[in-house]
Amino acid sequence: MAVSVHFGEALALGLASGPACIAACGPVVVPSLLTERAGLRPHARYLSVFLGARLAGYLLFAAVAWEIGALVSLPPGPRVLLMGAVNVLLAGVLIWYAWSARSLCGSSCVGSQLVNIGEKKNRRAAGPAALGLLTGLSLCPPFVAAGVRAAELGSVAQALLFFFFFFIGTSVWFMPFISFGCIARNEAVITVARMAMALIALYYISLGIAMLIGRKAYGY
Amino acid sequence: MATNIQLPRLTRPEPRGIGWSLLLTLPIFIWSLLMLFRPGMDTDLKSRIAATITTIFMTVLFFMMMRTGSTYRWRRIFFVSVGVLFPVGFIYNIVLARGTMGIPLEEMIAGRTPFCFMPIPMLILPAALTKTLIFPGTIASTNHGIAPMVGMWLALTLVLGKGWCSYACFFGGIEEGVAAIPARARIRKLDPRWRYGPWAVLLAMVLLSLALFEPAYCMWLCPFKAVSEYVTARNTIGLVQNGIFVLLFAGLVIALPFLTKKRTQCSFFCPFGAFQSIFNKISAFEIKIDKGRCKPCLLCQNACPNLSLSKESIARGETLMSCMKCGACVDACPRQAVVWHIKGTEAACKPERARLMFLYAAWAMAVMFGGTIIYGGVATILHFIA
Repeated sequence: MAVSVHFGEALALGLASGPACIAACGPVVVPSLLTERAGLRPHARYLSVFLGARLAGYLLFAAVAWEIGALVSLPPGPRVLLMGAVNVLLAGVLIWYAWSARSLCGSSCVGSQLVNIGEKKNRRAAGPAALGLLTGLSLCPPFVAAGVRAAELGSVAQALLFFFFFFIGTSVWFMPFISFGCIARNEAVITVARMAMALIALYYISLGIAMLIGRKAYGY
Repeated sequence: MATNIQLPRLTRPEPRGIGWSLLLTLPIFIWSLLMLFRPGMDTDLKSRIAATITTIFMTVLFFMMMRTGSTYRWRRIFFVSVGVLFPVGFIYNIVLARGTMGIPLEEMIAGRTPFCFMPIPMLILPAALTKTLIFPGTIASTNHGIAPMVGMWLALTLVLGKGWCSYACFFGGIEEGVAAIPARARIRKLDPRWRYGPWAVLLAMVLLSLALFEPAYCMWLCPFKAVSEYVTARNTIGLVQNGIFVLLFAGLVIALPFLTKKRTQCSFFCPFGAFQSIFNKISAFEIKIDKGRCKPCLLCQNACPNLSLSKESIARGETLMSCMKCGACVDACPRQAVVWHIKGTEAACKPERARLMFLYAAWAMAVMFGGTIIYGGVATILHFIA
């Protein structure tokens, strides 16, 4: 009974934290989705891979943090280093994504290995998987809140299950992104998405480098 | 994009009679008096002189629009004046109040950051998802408060669409002034894909603002922080932010307009301009091209300061949705094929009447918004010289 209450709580926490998850992942998900082929099915496939990798990131972090006893509060030094590295990697993947989408033309063009746009035989899952894994490791506020609660549970298995149900709750909020498949793709949409990805990547890389070299952000 | 056509001498429509032009200008003169001598304005001599100069300035420009039938060159004089005088009045007041152009963190936490219209598109998603305004300003203050500014912007935008960018924006005038300096463009070939830039900046800034819970454009990318106010630099990141502002201003507002004779910041970067383009779809006023009269010589395309005309759009008889309704293309067309138009009416149906209706709405806003800025700048200059 107590266990099901915990998982119900995880689900509710995930549902309640959904808008914050959308906000945290939006800069990565929205422009990369806009470089997908039009259609609901490609978008559903993208989101499945992205969310699956994000879940893997959650569970990986939770398992490691549990083992080293840092699930409640990761020390500031390693936390900043982890987030800095994740930001730099996210920037790298976004730039790769933007570069890879350069030859896209409407509904069906050849993409690179990383991007899953193009002919069916060339479709790859690496792009959304990399983005999903990195956003799963990026320690956004809802994830930290879930970590604090999960740390109070009795075993690593229960903590991982807690994260799983939390993930299910947050993922509901990502479903409307499938409707992006209804937006027609043309040169304008692809170019805007690529430029936006480059700008967002610039932000992530500057923030990541600032974290890695130990500078404080924003003048605080 | 660019064409190397020898520009012929433009044929202008017959000038209107002086009496008729004065009669058409009378409402604007009365409106200027109401706006610039309204209760609550300063009543000292220098302020009265500034208000008088501004009233005459706005009225004479409108009179010349009525008299000559030309819109762009008179509007440009007003717009450049707003762009140049805005920093004069604004910086003076900011320095008077704080002693610096930098916004100290304490001021931001206290919600005393003056609100400008630029972050409006970035406020929407955080407000919708969390019922929170992410701009560190005051909601209801009459002095640069968020609610009055958003209300005014919405009312004017619904009427004028992206006409806001040619008659109300107090930033675009600087680059329009710089673009007017050289006799000819040094860079003529511009990749039309750069036109997507504002949309990309808008998308990136809206998403980052939602993620960071702060107006990301104001914190990182606004070129006009260089001539208004900026976050006080307290560490390396702050220095980087201010360096970005200065570089963007130097590149997009000074260097590129000088080299291209285009409003490059507006055309390739401004996210608010992209946001305004959406409202062009619901605005009643637009520019149409009479395909029966059009040659096409592409003079309108060359004259457009915003790259809002392409060969394809001219063939369709319309501008792109980024059109700022500045009137440059209408004035440049030697065959009067490019005309002002009210949606729902027949194409080329009484274009001068459509122009008049648009100009009354636009110039009323210009007096209220830009006129107040010109007044503030002139009053500041008078304060220093007298």
